[in-house]
Amino acid sequence: MPPSQLKRLKASLRDQGITGPQKSKKEKKSQNKNASHHTQKASALASIRESFNPFEFKHLSRPQKFEYATTNAKPKVLGRPGVTKSAGEETRRKTLLPEMNRKNKTGGILDRRIGENDPTMSLEDRMMARFEREQQRKRGGNVFDLEDGDEEVELTHGGQTLRFDDEIGEEDYDAASVSGSDHEGEDGFLKKKRRRDDGEEGDAEVENEEQPERKKSKAEVMKEVIAKSKLHKYERQQAKEDDEELREELDKDLNDVLAALRGHINKKPEPEKVREVAQNDFGMNADRAALLATMSQEGKDKEYDRRVRELFNDERSKPTERTKTAEEKAKEEADRLKELEEKRQKRMRGEPISDDEEPSKKQQDEDDDENMSDINDDAAEFGLAAPPAPGQSRPVGVDDEDDFILEDDLVATDSEADISDEESESGAEVDDTMAMDDDDADFLKDVVEQPKAQPKAVKGVLTIGADTSSSRLAYTYPCPRSHEELLEVFKTVDLKDTSTVVQRIRALYHAGLKEDNKHKLADFACALLDHVSYLSNQTPAAPLAVIESVIRHIHSISRSYPVQIATQFRKHLKAFQLSNQPTPGDLALLTAIGSIYPTSDHFHQVVTPAVTLMARWMGLTTPSSANDIATGAFVGALCLQYQTLSKRYIPEFIRYTSLCLRSPHATKPLLSAHTRNILTAADLWSGSPAFIEIFTPLLAPLKSAHQTSTTQNLLARVNNAKLTRRPQALHHHRPLPIPSRIPKFEESFDPTKHYDADRERSDATKLQKEYKRERKGAMRELRKDANFIAREKLREKKEKDAAYEAKYKRLVAEIQGEEGYEKNVYEREKRKRKGN
Amino acid sequence: MPALKAVAASGVKRKRDPAKAERREAKSKKRQKSPSSEHGDDVQAEILQLEAQILESRRHYNNIATLLQLSKKSEDDAPVLAAVALCRVFSRLLAAGDMVRSKGMGEAEATVVAWLKERYREFLDTLLQSFLRCDNPAKQSVALTLLMRLVKEESKATKDYNLKNGPLSRLIEALLLLPAHDPNREEFAEKYFVQFDDVRFHTFKTIKNLLGTDLNDSERQLAASNSLSLLLSLDTVPQSKDDIKHYHTESQSKSSRPTLQVYKVQAQEAWLATMRAGLDKEQRKAILTTFSYQIAPWFQQPEMLMDFLTDSYDVGGATSLLALSGLYYLISEKNLDYPSFYLKLYSLLDEGLLHSKHRSRFFRLLDTFMSSTHLPAALVASFIKRLSRLALHGPPAGVVIVVPWVYNMFKRHPACTFMMHREVRDPALKEKLEKEGMDDPFDMSELDPMETNAIESSVWELEALQSHYHPNVATLAKIISEQFTKRSYNLEDFLDHSYTALLDTELDRDLKKDPEVEFEIPKRIFTAEEGLNPIGQLLQQVIEAR
Repeated sequence: MPPSQLKRLKASLRDQGITGPQKSKKEKKSQNKNASHHTQKASALASIRESFNPFEFKHLSRPQKFEYATTNAKPKVLGRPGVTKSAGEETRRKTLLPEMNRKNKTGGILDRRIGENDPTMSLEDRMMARFEREQQRKRGGNVFDLEDGDEEVELTHGGQTLRFDDEIGEEDYDAASVSGSDHEGEDGFLKKKRRRDDGEEGDAEVENEEQPERKKSKAEVMKEVIAKSKLHKYERQQAKEDDEELREELDKDLNDVLAALRGHINKKPEPEKVREVAQNDFGMNADRAALLATMSQEGKDKEYDRRVRELFNDERSKPTERTKTAEEKAKEEADRLKELEEKRQKRMRGEPISDDEEPSKKQQDEDDDENMSDINDDAAEFGLAAPPAPGQSRPVGVDDEDDFILEDDLVATDSEADISDEESESGAEVDDTMAMDDDDADFLKDVVEQPKAQPKAVKGVLTIGADTSSSRLAYTYPCPRSHEELLEVFKTVDLKDTSTVVQRIRALYHAGLKEDNKHKLADFACALLDHVSYLSNQTPAAPLAVIESVIRHIHSISRSYPVQIATQFRKHLKAFQLSNQPTPGDLALLTAIGSIYPTSDHFHQVVTPAVTLMARWMGLTTPSSANDIATGAFVGALCLQYQTLSKRYIPEFIRYTSLCLRSPHATKPLLSAHTRNILTAADLWSGSPAFIEIFTPLLAPLKSAHQTSTTQNLLARVNNAKLTRRPQALHHHRPLPIPSRIPKFEESFDPTKHYDADRERSDATKLQKEYKRERKGAMRELRKDANFIAREKLREKKEKDAAYEAKYKRLVAEIQGEEGYEKNVYEREKRKRKGN
Repeated sequence: MPALKAVAASGVKRKRDPAKAERREAKSKKRQKSPSSEHGDDVQAEILQLEAQILESRRHYNNIATLLQLSKKSEDDAPVLAAVALCRVFSRLLAAGDMVRSKGMGEAEATVVAWLKERYREFLDTLLQSFLRCDNPAKQSVALTLLMRLVKEESKATKDYNLKNGPLSRLIEALLLLPAHDPNREEFAEKYFVQFDDVRFHTFKTIKNLLGTDLNDSERQLAASNSLSLLLSLDTVPQSKDDIKHYHTESQSKSSRPTLQVYKVQAQEAWLATMRAGLDKEQRKAILTTFSYQIAPWFQQPEMLMDFLTDSYDVGGATSLLALSGLYYLISEKNLDYPSFYLKLYSLLDEGLLHSKHRSRFFRLLDTFMSSTHLPAALVASFIKRLSRLALHGPPAGVVIVVPWVYNMFKRHPACTFMMHREVRDPALKEKLEKEGMDDPFDMSELDPMETNAIESSVWELEALQSHYHPNVATLAKIISEQFTKRSYNLEDFLDHSYTALLDTELDRDLKKDPEVEFEIPKRIFTAEEGLNPIGQLLQQVIEAR
């Protein structure tokens, strides 16, 4: 509780020394004499009076009950209304009043000095602004020219320009010599130091000193510098020309040198001259000398470093790889196979391969985006987007994005094969050419036989010796780029020799030989693909061995051109989709797909449509002839072969097989083919949890088809499956946490703050408050302005009135005075007359 | 100057006349060039002349008789031309009021009017009898157009025109008795029946009248199927009076404008008459397909269709599937009580369901029927289990519907979730399981969904489908064994898939990435050490069987 008003008053009076213990008369007297003491006392009293004015300070409406020390304690004095009021009044007087006075007036003098009418600028600011403007004007218009500015802003000392350039020495020297000031010592030291640094230049300057003493202007200095650099340039050119001349001379003598080498010397070369020239550059070659001469020290160092680095990184400096032993090779091969198998497994499970997580992540993002865009389509999540919008979604977990990274020796590099003359390299190159793999050795032997025997064939020098097996065949063929062309080429070729011819074409048009060959080979492979279909569709069909060899060729090429061949396959699949009538050609292609592509992948751009197509055929057709049943047996077997590794379930297979078994067209060998398929399927899907349900529908047709042994077998398997069947327990998941509904409490809650979780809303309220506050403030200001104006007007009016009054009074007084005077005169006259 | 002008004028005149003559010549030339024979050309000219004469004065009215004679001929072009000409003539006469007997008419005049009327009737007969029933579609089409034109003209000419008296009803009758798949009826349906409300209204009436009369069986069948095809061509039902505003006739009186009520009653009568005439299976299906949105709205009392629907529902197969929507309409809108509805619904889940083309329609309804959370768990379990069993042998498109549906069911009926996760805690039972395994307690042949024991079973089938050959289907099937965090799947998104859609989405897009290639080149594909391997043999078989 603060002390009472009276106590405080007393205390402050005592502090100021106004009251206090009684003083002796002497003291009083001495004090009274001092006039300054009086004024001091008066001012002290005034300040006390002021401080005790209850309206001068704004306090808390009620004093705080307890004293406490916090960091953000409220100040005791909340505001000083008197001060603010007077400050406001003052600013108004400065800004509003002149405006008011100028109102309704035209003309007059405007003070355009910078910042003169701006009360917010302090005197220094004003001066600074004026200085800047002045500088700008000096620079002459271009405000943005930084360079100029550097030159123009000159620092002066005593009205003289300060210089830090080279000529500082002479300048200072001049100054020293002229004025003989006491700075001489220091300047001399500086000069010495500079001299030590500059060496020769210093000498030149010494010479310059002898010239008449005159301060050089900037322009002159620059001119000198330019002249110097021009001189250097000229010298360099000169040196270069000399070198050129020398070289020309040497070239002239080249013939002689050659002749000398050949044995008949015509003329002696002139080594002296060369040596002479070389002497100049300490035995360096001319280019390097020129380089050294022209470059600065720093440049030289840099260049040197660069070259060293180059040398360091040079391929030749590395030790060559050691030749591997047989075990190492075998181990490497085993590792490689293992890795490939692991990758295959991963793809089978549909996991993204770790090598490229980025694409999968990207895919995820894409998916996310998609989900954002059409959240409603649940089906799209599973890649089951409606057909009108194809290609917008990838099936979840489908890893067709991943890149199967093949090692160098596996990949058929279609990049430039190194065409060098070294025999050792050409062997490796053949490997590359034919995409050879060590474990394909025997396949490659017959495929790559020719090029291996005659490595030069690869290099385009056709010196292939006659082969006993196909001596009638030509060695060169045009590369067929479409199926028509291919037929043209193969017209004269015996079916049996197809493989050899294909082989020769592949060797002839190897990608490494010519830029264009890449496309040629890709087209050739596509044509071959068409040829497979064509061969099997022919009547009588070509022997399967031939088709097989062609398929293997396609397989080999497709390592180099996977996209083109896959696209061609997909074209054929599309055609099959539209016809839905499998020809032998289609079937051969489906088989080819099964052998060329990994069928166990969760998703594969070629295999998945192929399986779907086969399943569709089995799901939508009914066997109406023996041919259908045979096709069904083949397609079924093929489907099962596709699933050998991944063991996926194909419902349509069961359907079609049971239909075939019931069909009246079924013959004995066909039935046995189907039963074999059933047993294979039973093997494949023996792990399926619904084995019983899958195979039970087949039991009845099998029985009716009198396939007793198979029926027994299947029945036994079904019973076995019953033994292993357990109730399903799919959801061994961690239980989902129950979402918490406890309200969130704020630690250290402050009621004055807003805890709005919605950011936008809180921002909006903040803005609204600010707006309200501003509005209030503006209104208050306007009101005060109006008050001020009214007050001023009133004051003016009063002044005017007072002036008028004064004038009036003055006039009246004047008249009265005059009148009185006249009256006096009159009286006097009257009295005079009376008196007279 | 005036002289010059005159010359100029005369020049113009002179010019004009030859121009006209030339044009005529050109026309005649054109006609000559046209494929019709010279004889035809003559006939045409003659007909035109006759027509022109009739229009010139009344003296030539006898030409009408000549034209009629011409129109009855069996020559190719002439009858049509004559008919067209006659139509024009009669339209003019009707418009001019020459065919109406008025009070102040003389004897002779009245005779003329009567004669004209007689000829008019004769003309209509010709059109209806010989034109419409001939084999020439062009001629039939002409007859149809002309008749409708005359109907319009009549309505214009006469006040208080009643369509019943005009040629329209006769025309419709004739159309109904034409053989099936006649293009004229389609033309009529397309141009008039669907477009004009008065024509439609009158057609309803005529259908009812025609089927009400005594006809022999074959004719009745024909008329019924024709009327059905006509009625099915209507795809919109007027909702309010404002929808009835397109009229073919132009009568001012209000009597010929039917109110909505009357209109609907007539439509209902027509439908009932058609249905009563006997329907074969295809027709029944056609009706059921469009039932709830094309037919039921016409009916003031849809309850009249209850028997029809329940009968259809009991037929089985696709008909039942189709009847379901109609039945649902009645149940939901008209409070129809269908005893043991779910029993019947359960019986619809047969082998063909997932292969059926009405699959999506059925599942849409099934989703509605099973949406209640108050259904007994045993019943829901039976549906789940049965559908899973069907999906095991179904096409991918079917699987794709069943899996999310089952998910939704599990979510809605947590009691059923034991079907996918059941832990055996009883040690004795556990031991028994270890020893003997178990049989599926579900009884597929049981008809009553409450008795199938499905709730004791498990959905092994869906688990098996997780290794489906199609990656998308397999991934979708995996949702059953993952945590059920999603509230529900929108079934609508899964309904319309097919093999074609699956293939198209994949095959129609370009390759983005290099496809994987098998790293090992197999040494043998078709061949073995000796001869062919099994695959090769099978292919050989196929090639030989060709």
